[in-house]
Amino acid sequence: MKHKQTDISELQAELEKLHGASFGWALSCCRRDRAEAEEVLQTVYLKILEGKARYRGESNLKTWLFAVIRKTAITEQRKRLLRALKSLAASNPTPERNSFAPEPAAAFERSEAQKQFQRALERLPARQREVLHLAFYEDLSLREAANVMGISIGSARQHYERGKRHLRESLDREELDYGISWERKENPGAVS
Amino acid sequence: MELAGNEKKIQALFRELKLADERVAPGFTRVWNRAQATGPGSPRVFKISFAVATTVFVIALCSLVLWSRDWQRSQQSNPNVATGPTTSGSTPAPPLAPSLVKPLARPLANQGPTQLGVAQLPNRVKANRWDRKLVARRQADLNARNVAIRETISISSWQAPTATLMQSPADHVLTSLPQLDRSLTELKTFLPNTP
Repeated sequence: MKHKQTDISELQAELEKLHGASFGWALSCCRRDRAEAEEVLQTVYLKILEGKARYRGESNLKTWLFAVIRKTAITEQRKRLLRALKSLAASNPTPERNSFAPEPAAAFERSEAQKQFQRALERLPARQREVLHLAFYEDLSLREAANVMGISIGSARQHYERGKRHLRESLDREELDYGISWERKENPGAVS
Repeated sequence: MELAGNEKKIQALFRELKLADERVAPGFTRVWNRAQATGPGSPRVFKISFAVATTVFVIALCSLVLWSRDWQRSQQSNPNVATGPTTSGSTPAPPLAPSLVKPLARPLANQGPTQLGVAQLPNRVKANRWDRKLVARRQADLNARNVAIRETISISSWQAPTATLMQSPADHVLTSLPQLDRSLTELKTFLPNTP
């Protein structure tokens, strides 16, 4: 029992270190909905506390945690969708929360460029957005990103390349100008 | 991971996003404590659902046992009906008075639900539609069986009106046999007195 408690406290310390990154990843999985991301993160911690999600040391703790967050977010989204369908079927529609709109309390001042960047991210397919987030936001390698997403490294590389291209095109369309013009040609050997 | 210029721009945008996210991120302790607080709730829900499932299972099991018992009873009652009239017909029926018909009906009822006593069954069977139909069918079967037994008994105890004319004082001579392995003197004693 004591051993279990020390395990939990050790894990808690590790989770605290990763909390910021975990929240960022949860936000990405929940399409930037802050309340939903918080709920997902809470559910993940609950799973860990109840022993439903167990870290067995087979992979990096961060990779494992991110995989759990991703799965939980998908499950929560399904539940939310079902709830919405049920309320529609009962012809008693509840005011649905717009997952794309940030809550007023959580809103922060974003530059116009940042807003355009987020819009461009939202337009990306989920896999491409996820792999870009893991690679650029979390500084994970493509292998680690593939582990988190539960896909092969080849698929992860493909999503990464396509995601970059789509993001660049989307930003070009938005006429995002950071003072530097976007290069038309990509460097294929950039990512190992 | 060495990044090209194009990727550096993307990374710069992601970094900016990360900084913005860190500003709005909830405290770890708050989320962790909330998770701990909601923790004990879910096992209770599980226990309630488990209890409901167990109750339903027990009810289903009990109804299955009752049904199988009734079914066994109906299976046991059929052979008794088949053997009843044949046994009474194969042996020579003793002369029965009409009053014997009533006592015979009593043991049938006393045998209870284990054999032919379906009459007591309605008290024990639940009043649902299926059971009521079953009981009514059994009652009809029992009535038919009782009528058949009564008819058999009355036929076997029947005597001809001229049966008394056939009786004579020397009936014992006609109905008994001489013992051939005995002595002649003993045989003479058996014979009627002759001059």
